[in-house]
Amino acid sequence: MKTICPRCESTGVTQMHAGMENGQVLWRVWHCKDCAYTWRDSEPAESIDPKVRPAWAQMKGVDFDSLRQVVPPARKPT
Amino acid sequence: MDTEKEVTLSAQAKAVAARIGSLRDFLDYLGEHDQCVTWPDAVLPEPDIRNVSVAAGNNVSTGPAVIFDKIRGYPGKRVAVNVHGSFGNLALLLGMPKTTPVRELFFEIIRRWGSDKPLLARVDPKNAPVHENRIDHGINLYDLLPLYRINAHDGGFYIGKACVVSRDPLDPDNFGKQNVGIYRIQVMGPDTFTLLSIPAHDMGRQMLMAEQHGKPLKVSVMIGNHPAMPMFAATPVGYDESEFAYASQMMGAPLRLTTAVNGTDILADTEMVIEGELQLNQREVEGPFGEFPGSYSGVRKVPLFRVTGVSHRNNPIFENIYIGKGWTEHDTLIGLNTSAPIYAQLKKDFPEVAAVNALYQHGLTGIIAVKNRFSGFAKSVAMRALGTPHGTMYLKNLILVDENVDPFDLNQVMWALSTRTRANDIIVIPNMPMVPIDPAAEVPGKGHRLIIDATSFMAPDNLGADPHLVDRPMGPEIDALMQRLSELQKGGVR
Repeated sequence: MKTICPRCESTGVTQMHAGMENGQVLWRVWHCKDCAYTWRDSEPAESIDPKVRPAWAQMKGVDFDSLRQVVPPARKPT
Repeated sequence: MDTEKEVTLSAQAKAVAARIGSLRDFLDYLGEHDQCVTWPDAVLPEPDIRNVSVAAGNNVSTGPAVIFDKIRGYPGKRVAVNVHGSFGNLALLLGMPKTTPVRELFFEIIRRWGSDKPLLARVDPKNAPVHENRIDHGINLYDLLPLYRINAHDGGFYIGKACVVSRDPLDPDNFGKQNVGIYRIQVMGPDTFTLLSIPAHDMGRQMLMAEQHGKPLKVSVMIGNHPAMPMFAATPVGYDESEFAYASQMMGAPLRLTTAVNGTDILADTEMVIEGELQLNQREVEGPFGEFPGSYSGVRKVPLFRVTGVSHRNNPIFENIYIGKGWTEHDTLIGLNTSAPIYAQLKKDFPEVAAVNALYQHGLTGIIAVKNRFSGFAKSVAMRALGTPHGTMYLKNLILVDENVDPFDLNQVMWALSTRTRANDIIVIPNMPMVPIDPAAEVPGKGHRLIIDATSFMAPDNLGADPHLVDRPMGPEIDALMQRLSELQKGGVR
């Protein structure tokens, strides 16, 4: 089954790291290129299961360009 | 203006200051006083580290620092939490008994406050422990640090207690304008991170400058530091005053500085330094993060940094913090140093001010003990407190109590509230500046302030019936009796 982002449900996710124990993969860290959520697949469901995470924490359908800027950029990035 | 006044320390404080040169030294010292434990069990990064951190911090008086060295999936890696999580640990750092009352810790900070002689030593980078290991290529922060999610709905893995050094982009050779501050850092990739600062803070100001003028902004993220650094780096000093110098002055012993590969000054004995460079005008989606008011800050666009190199000691310790719904290590770490400048600023104009307790959530609630010079005087003091640099944004609820009420003893404060407060004599000041992440704001950044005058009535007030106070025995004699009773209890004398 394809891994999706637990927060915005994008499929644009990348494995960042794997934790090993006795030569076996114990967990993997994933990162979403769209909403920047980072998670470990060994975490409790409240952090990594979109069906369990609270609605306020979900970002499916959010326009990321409209988010508030904390330090407004001086100009467009080159 | 510097007066080159060096702090005078007790023999014990001097010995402690001379002995502690790094996080490792402090953890050893805490351990000798039963204030540091190594967690014996294997833990998963989530939720185990979070849960143990919270449990350690729940004991505000003598909760221990905790070291994790059996983190599943991170063999050989270590995390330390709650290092500044109890007043007992802070007392030991200041060379005092771990049972020292908070009020005495406050006055010790005040006593050290006027010292302004920098005590800085220089270490050749070749001999600096922080440079024992160097990584310039193939950097992977997920591999170098045992990262974990601090609160369940944080947007990622945060480095929450690093001291970040940066040079003024327009005046990079100025040591004083070099800033050291604690900012939340979210790891965004193997070699990228966001760093959150607001334009009002020194780092935010430097980010704006760099982008406006197209100048590079290089930072060094110091993780696992001399315990004076995080404790004093969060104290607002002037923009051209060095936090390194300030921390050494307050500690009363030299801090060992060396140079990072990117040219910034760093602590020679720090566990790890991540060097990064601001990616001009680039932003990444950051947050939420469980913040000090006890609620999650929103998701925003925040400046992005790329890692240019990492230096670290052998077997480095990742020191991190639990922060969220209080009480947490964040409150202990910065509480006394939030209270001290407010006290010093008030005291200049109003010598009647006896003590200031702004421990709660970075001073969102403050308690000021003051002797009324005349009826209503305490209210004027409250107004002045709102005009101090920290008060302008943070002091939201102010409680004024008599000078003989200990503002650090909440039982005494409740006595004052119970017997001195007249409900038609509270002041609400609407639409004042407010910390944007305070959920009690009407709109982010604006909200209302509250002043409760719980000092004793005096003419021309209506004094009420039976106004004569009981003169409760207090002071050193009672303190000594309490100590004796405590010893009798321990000895089981019947």
